[in-house]
Amino acid sequence: MRLPKIFIRFIIIIMFASTLLGACVPTVVAPITSGKIAFLLPETKTARYETQDLPIFKAKLKTLGFDVEKNLIYSNANQDASAQQSQAEAALTNGAKLLVLDPVDSSAAAAIANLAKAKGVPVIAYDRLIKGSEGVDYYISFDNEQVGKLQGQSLLEALKGKIDPVVVMINGSPTDNNVTLFKKGAHSVLDGKVNIAKEYDTPDWSPDKAQEEMTQALTALGNKVDGVYAANDGTAGGAIAAMKAAGLKPLPPITGQDAELVAIQRILVGEQYMTVYKAIKLEAEIAAEFSFALLMNKPIPLNRVNGKTYNGKIDVPSVLLVPVAVTKANVKNTVVADEFWKVFDLCKGDYANACSEAGIK
Amino acid sequence: MSAMLNDPPLTSNTGSDNLIARLRRRMQGEWGSLPVILGLLCIWIIFQIANPNFLTPLNLTNLLLQITAVGTISAGLILVLLLGEVDLSAGAVSGLCAAIMAVLNVKNEVPGLIAVLIALAAGFGIGLLQGVWITQLRLPSFIVTLAGLLVWQGALIYVLGTTGTVNLTDTFILGLAGTFFPPLVGWGVGAVFILIYIAWIGWARQQQMMASMTVEPLREMITRSTVLIVGVIATIALLNANRGLPSAVIFFIGIIVIFDFITKRTVFGSYIFSVGSNAEVARRAGIDVGLIRLATFGLASMLAAMGGILAASRLLAVNQSSGSSDLLLNAVAAAVIGGTSFFGGRGTVWAALLGMLVIGSISNGLDLLALASPIKSIITGGVLLLAVTVDVLARRRHETVER
Repeated sequence: MRLPKIFIRFIIIIMFASTLLGACVPTVVAPITSGKIAFLLPETKTARYETQDLPIFKAKLKTLGFDVEKNLIYSNANQDASAQQSQAEAALTNGAKLLVLDPVDSSAAAAIANLAKAKGVPVIAYDRLIKGSEGVDYYISFDNEQVGKLQGQSLLEALKGKIDPVVVMINGSPTDNNVTLFKKGAHSVLDGKVNIAKEYDTPDWSPDKAQEEMTQALTALGNKVDGVYAANDGTAGGAIAAMKAAGLKPLPPITGQDAELVAIQRILVGEQYMTVYKAIKLEAEIAAEFSFALLMNKPIPLNRVNGKTYNGKIDVPSVLLVPVAVTKANVKNTVVADEFWKVFDLCKGDYANACSEAGIK
Repeated sequence: MSAMLNDPPLTSNTGSDNLIARLRRRMQGEWGSLPVILGLLCIWIIFQIANPNFLTPLNLTNLLLQITAVGTISAGLILVLLLGEVDLSAGAVSGLCAAIMAVLNVKNEVPGLIAVLIALAAGFGIGLLQGVWITQLRLPSFIVTLAGLLVWQGALIYVLGTTGTVNLTDTFILGLAGTFFPPLVGWGVGAVFILIYIAWIGWARQQQMMASMTVEPLREMITRSTVLIVGVIATIALLNANRGLPSAVIFFIGIIVIFDFITKRTVFGSYIFSVGSNAEVARRAGIDVGLIRLATFGLASMLAAMGGILAASRLLAVNQSSGSSDLLLNAVAAAVIGGTSFFGGRGTVWAALLGMLVIGSISNGLDLLALASPIKSIITGGVLLLAVTVDVLARRRHETVER
C-alpha cells in the first residue's frame, strides 16, 4: 500500500519546520551557561521542598538567564543520607560545577562537601548546615536558634499571669541538626520561667508519635498542662489531637513552625496559638542568586551575608534570614499578604467564618 | 447417630498422661498464648512500679486506643502470614487509603461514609492488584509488596497534593475512632459479646461431637470461658470508669472476632490454613490455591485501609508520614509475638490483639516515663526479641516432645 502523496508532503514539511525551529531556538534565546548546578534536597514528606523550594529556585534561576531545563540537576534523597551521597556523586559525574545541598544528615554530608572541594566545586549549604568540612562556601538558612526563641517567647506571652505554669515540650527528630538549635533557643527563653514537666524527642517528626507522647504526658500529669511547646506544625497537630481526645477545654496554648496550611487554619479557629513563618521564597531566591553568581564568576551579593556560622572546621559565611511568629492577629499581614497560601484554600468550608472574623477575604 | 451424641470418649486424656504433657498440649492449642500473657503481666507490673499512673482506667483506655489502628493492620497481615506469604506494603496502603478518604471528603466534599467506603474499596483493589502479580506471574510476595510499598508511598504524597497535611473535620469520620459510648451501651455490647461466645463454643462442641472428634474436657472449657468472661467484664468496667467504651475498640475487636470466625469456621478459612501449611498438597486436594491467595491479599489490604482510616480518625488529620515510620514493623512484630508463624499455616487473628498489647504497653509506658528516644528504642527492641524468643523456645520444646 502506498502512502498518499499529500501525506508524504506533510511529513516533509514537518521535518523541515522542526529542523528550522531546532536551529533557531538556541540562537534566538541563547542562555548564558558555563556548567551545571545540582540542587539536592533531603526528602519529599514535608510539603515545602517540592512545592516551594524547588519551583522557586528554578524560577529565579530562569529569570537570571540560566537554562534550567538543560543545566539544572535535581535530586531528592527521601530522607536517606547514603542515597544523598550517591546522588551528589552522580551529579558531579554528570558535570555539576556547583552543589546546592540541603543535607539529610548534617554531619554525614561532610563527605559530599569534601568530595566537591577535591574537584574544585563550590558548595552552598541550603537550609541545614553541613558540619565538619572545609568545603562549604556559604550557608543560607533561617536563624534556627531564633526560631526556638520565637516559639518560647510566644508561649511565655500566652502564659502571662500564670504562676509556675506546667509545660510539655514535644521536640523534633533527634537526627536533625536544626532541632538542636530549636531546642537551644526555646530552652534559653523558657528555662527558669516555666516548669517543663515532660520533654520528648519525636523520631522522624512523626505526628502520630507526637500524639502518643502528648497522650502519655497528659496521663502522667493528670491533664494539668498549661502550655505545650511543639517544634513544628505536624507535631502540634498530633499534640492537639491528644488534648482533644483527653477532653481539654479550652485547649492550652501550643506552638508550631512552618506555617502549614492546616496550622494556619487551626490558628484561625483558636486551636493552635502560633506558628513560625519562614519566608521560603526569599531563602530559595537568595540561594539561586548565589548559585548563579558563583557559577558565572560574578560578584556575590555580599550585602545579603549577615553572619558567620562555625561548622566544626571553619566559619562559614552565612545568610541568616529572620523568621516571623504568626498568631491570629497577624495571619492577614504575613502568610496571606505574601500569598504563601491562597485565600481560596485557606478559607474553605468550615474555616470561612474564622477567616472573615480575622478580616481575610 | 444417637451414640455419638453421648458423652465423648476422653481418649487422649486418660491414665497414662501426666500433668506436664497435658499442660504442653494445652500450650499448643487455645492456651498457646499463655507465655505472652505472662510476659504482658510482667511488663505491666514493671511499669506500674515505675509510674503509678500506668494501671489506671485513663491510661489503659489510652493504651487500647493507641493499639487499634496498628492492630487492625496487623490482623490483615496475619491472614497473609497464615498463607506463608508476607505483605510489606500494608503500612503504605493504610496511609494511601486514609489520604484518599481525607482528600475526597475535605477537598472534593464527598460525604464521610462514602469517602470511607471508597477508601476501603481502594484498599481491596490494591490488594487484588498485588495478588494478581503474586499468583498469576508467580513473583514472590516479598518483592511485589516491597515494590508496592514504594509505589503507594509515592502515591500518598501525590494524592495529598501541594498543601501536605489534610485536617479532618467530618463528624462521621472523626466519630469512627472518637466516639465514647455511655456505660449502659458498654455493658450491652459486653453482654452480646459473651452470649455470642457461649453460643459459638457450645455449637462448635456439638459439631465436633457429631463428627465424633475429640473434644476438650468440659472442665477446661468452663475454665477458659470463665477467664474470658471475667476479662470482658473487667475491660468494660475499666473503660466505663474512664470515658466509656470507645468506638475504635469495638471496630478492632469486631474485626478480630469476624476474621477469627472466617479463618476457623468457614471453608475459605480452612483453605487458607491448607495453602499455608502445604500449597502443593492443597492444590492436589482440588483447592484453587491462586484464588485463595488472591482473596486473602485483597482482604489484608482492605484491613490495612481500615487501620489507616482509624488512625486518621484518631489523629484528626492525614499527612505525608501517615502509615510510614515503624508502623509496618510493629504490625509484623505484633503478629509474631502473638504466636503467628512466619512460615504459614499456624496462628490466630487474636494474635493481633495480644501482640499489640505487648508492643503498645512498652511504648505507652516508656512515653509515660518520658525516657530519651534512644533508650526507648533499645528497650523496645530488647523486649520484642525476648518475647519472641520465649514463645519460640516454648513451642520448639513442645514440638520435639511430640516427635
